[in-house]
Amino acid sequence: MTFTITIPGIIRLVAVTTPDEVLAVNDASMVQRSLSGRGGLVNRLVAARFAVFRSPDGDIWPAFRDRPDLLRGERQTALEARLSNVEPLLRRIAPEIAELGDYVRDGVAHRSTGVIVQQAVGRLFFADYAASEKSYDAARILQSWLSAWPLHAFWIRRSGALQASLDRIMDLSRGDMACAHATALAVDNIVRSIKLMRRLARHGDNLAKIGPQDALARTLRAPSHVVREVRDEGSAGPVRLRARSLVLLAVESARRQSADPSFAFFAGAWNRCPAHGIVPALLAEVWQAARTDTRGCT
Amino acid sequence: MSRQNDGFDFHHGLLQRLLDVAYRAINFFVRWDRLPIPLIGAANLGVFRDRLRAHNLHHTGYGINTSGDWSAGKERWRTADGSFNSLGHPRMGMAGSRFGRNFPLPECVPDSGDELLDPSPREISRELLARRTFIPAERLNLLAAAWIQFETHNWFSHGVPEPGNEFKIPLQPGDNWPDSERVDGCMQIRRTLADKTPRETWLGATPTFQNINSHWWDAGQIYGSSQSRQAEIRSGTDGKIAIGRDGMLPPDPKHRGVDLTGFNDNWWVGLSLLHNLFAREHNVLCDALKARYPAWRDEELFQRARLINAALIAKIHTIEWTPGILAHPALEFAMRANWSGVPSHVMRAVLGKDSEAAYGIIGSPTDQHSAPYALTEEFTSVYRLHPLIPDEMNVRRLDTGEQVLCELVNMQGRFTRRFMEDHGFTNLLYSFGTNHPGAIQLYNYPNFLRRFEKDGQPLLDMAAIDIMRDRERGVPRYNRFRELVGKQRVRTFEEITSIPDAADKMRKIYGNVDRVDLLVGLLAEDLPKGFGFSDTAFRIFVLMATRRLKSDRFFTDDYRPEIYTDFGLDWINNNGMKSVLLRHVPQLGPALEGVKNCFMPWNVL
Repeated sequence: MTFTITIPGIIRLVAVTTPDEVLAVNDASMVQRSLSGRGGLVNRLVAARFAVFRSPDGDIWPAFRDRPDLLRGERQTALEARLSNVEPLLRRIAPEIAELGDYVRDGVAHRSTGVIVQQAVGRLFFADYAASEKSYDAARILQSWLSAWPLHAFWIRRSGALQASLDRIMDLSRGDMACAHATALAVDNIVRSIKLMRRLARHGDNLAKIGPQDALARTLRAPSHVVREVRDEGSAGPVRLRARSLVLLAVESARRQSADPSFAFFAGAWNRCPAHGIVPALLAEVWQAARTDTRGCT
Repeated sequence: MSRQNDGFDFHHGLLQRLLDVAYRAINFFVRWDRLPIPLIGAANLGVFRDRLRAHNLHHTGYGINTSGDWSAGKERWRTADGSFNSLGHPRMGMAGSRFGRNFPLPECVPDSGDELLDPSPREISRELLARRTFIPAERLNLLAAAWIQFETHNWFSHGVPEPGNEFKIPLQPGDNWPDSERVDGCMQIRRTLADKTPRETWLGATPTFQNINSHWWDAGQIYGSSQSRQAEIRSGTDGKIAIGRDGMLPPDPKHRGVDLTGFNDNWWVGLSLLHNLFAREHNVLCDALKARYPAWRDEELFQRARLINAALIAKIHTIEWTPGILAHPALEFAMRANWSGVPSHVMRAVLGKDSEAAYGIIGSPTDQHSAPYALTEEFTSVYRLHPLIPDEMNVRRLDTGEQVLCELVNMQGRFTRRFMEDHGFTNLLYSFGTNHPGAIQLYNYPNFLRRFEKDGQPLLDMAAIDIMRDRERGVPRYNRFRELVGKQRVRTFEEITSIPDAADKMRKIYGNVDRVDLLVGLLAEDLPKGFGFSDTAFRIFVLMATRRLKSDRFFTDDYRPEIYTDFGLDWINNNGMKSVLLRHVPQLGPALEGVKNCFMPWNVL
């Protein structure tokens, strides 16, 4: 289903929620990731939110690079190759997986779930990545920056928290923007999945009854929305797109309607997530770890 | 401020902010060109320019290393390759550096796949651009057409395309494109030379291209954009440019039939006339300087004469050519103000000495505004003015009044020097002054350029190539281009044009108004009163015409007697196109009598 709202000077927006439409719009050539801010005040405010995701030398975070960008393609392929070697990577983050398993099973952990997930994700890039409450706070601030109401957003920027968070994330990521994106923004989806796993594990003997793949299917979460902009007027499948409309792809809503679990990662699309193999494996491992008590019995 | 703009930023003054708000309100009701008093219209243009300076200058990296051929002391004059014009950013504007952009980089991404060739540029050439009957621009003479090519050869060149990986344009049944030129049934178009320098990561998907000429307004078309080319054109004596025994530029030994000068690509008689004229002007300047400064040697004389000659050419372009082709009272006022300020003591007193509005850009402080200086891809796109060229012209003899109809195709490339010799410099200048160029609109693209043989190239359809160039370089199509220069998008084809049947044809070819190519939109657009080209293209001129002056140290901070000499500044002040013409070709006196602007038709004797 498509929802369109146009108030001249204020907003021009199209929200797309069904899987087929999401894929069609995502694939349309007139739809781009970079936001010009044209189309109305709200469009401008949203564009300003995304504009901060650049490295200090102006480099663009990977999730905001446009489709024809050759560097995007090269980096996506390279990262996909790096993350496809799943087994060694899972061994590298085995301590974090164990910690998360404890949390899912018992609801307790020595540190916050977010920190553990952030460290696990960071260690997929750098074996010595060390997350902390401060680094996870930085990630949370960047996540809330994207969804905050205007006054709150103003405060986040005005107080210096935004820049400090960006600096901290970039610093920890050693300039690797894929790592920055993963540990600041993408990490939130994994945290949500882990929390869902915990909720699932609390009920009855789910932990024993439900296998890792089933648990994964029940708890995997996609980003709730992905934002795009229509550059020129056109149509994407049945969806008519007006120039300079902001496009909200309701990925999570579409994922729930889709039979394909890989929908959450846009698998098969030009913008497929390079972590489409490692993230499900990580979550399955966490569930498996939760099922395995500390004495090594299942 | 993003770092990719190399630290440059635009600063609004309070007055600018107030005017911006006021004119937003005014323009809601009245377009700038319909405002009643020239000063009010000119101020409106100033507001547009400031908006464009703030939002429409985007750096794409330099793509080149600093020239090694520089040493202290050379800051007194222009370097051959344009480096060190900005002493703080020596690569800025030098030959080989990249074209910039007028729009945010994500807007400057070419269509991918089949969309790049859709609709077929050859069909656009045949259906919308091809000249049916010659439509003259009756307010102008043909010298105006030659002049703009003379100038663009100063500013930019993407280089000569090389074979390999050509675009293949499918041809419709009934297309008369020669079979011998077809490959797999398609017309081939060579790609623009690729920029092979390392790309900055922040460029995203925006393609970059290098300008093989210096970007500066430095008369590089006469003097060349490299030390070696400069050495080739110089006589080595008294700073002069080499001239043949017949008083004309010598032949280029590497290009048959073409004059030896700084930049002689796409050569034809119109260019030869202007190059010869200003080479003579250079040599007269050298004589005059030598008489005043007898101790100066060849190098000093050459460089000083170059500075003066380049500034005179810039002045002629600013206050003669531009108001000639854009004959609007507000624009004429604005262009004069650009050069020498407003003619009002009160306004000068109020605005202050550093105000470019009050005293003109010339001699004001240098300012790059929001990006390092570079000419832009969009700038090159709006200078696609080929409809100015007629397919044929009357060549008139000044002494007898005889005239003969000649085809342009026979006065270009390897035929140029022969044609000049046959008809003579004076007669040809007179002929250019008394013939009209074509109007810059649809259905008026010269047909000989649509089937054009150029040495070393396959057969060319320049109209189709013009369309492809904008597309491959990621210049936005017409409707988005409008939006990005601050105009409303159009919703229908009829909003673009009132040319009979053009809207219908565009609809048939494009289907969607957002797909209209920039060139087609610019040529189709209904023009403001007095304008020779579209208001949309004009927005880029508003920005870039003044930027060429404001960014250049030699027109701003260093426009002073220590650099130009008092004699040089007086020469620039006291001369114009008419005095240059009459100095070197005094026989033109009767033809120019009473003519206020040399780019408007002269008297036919």
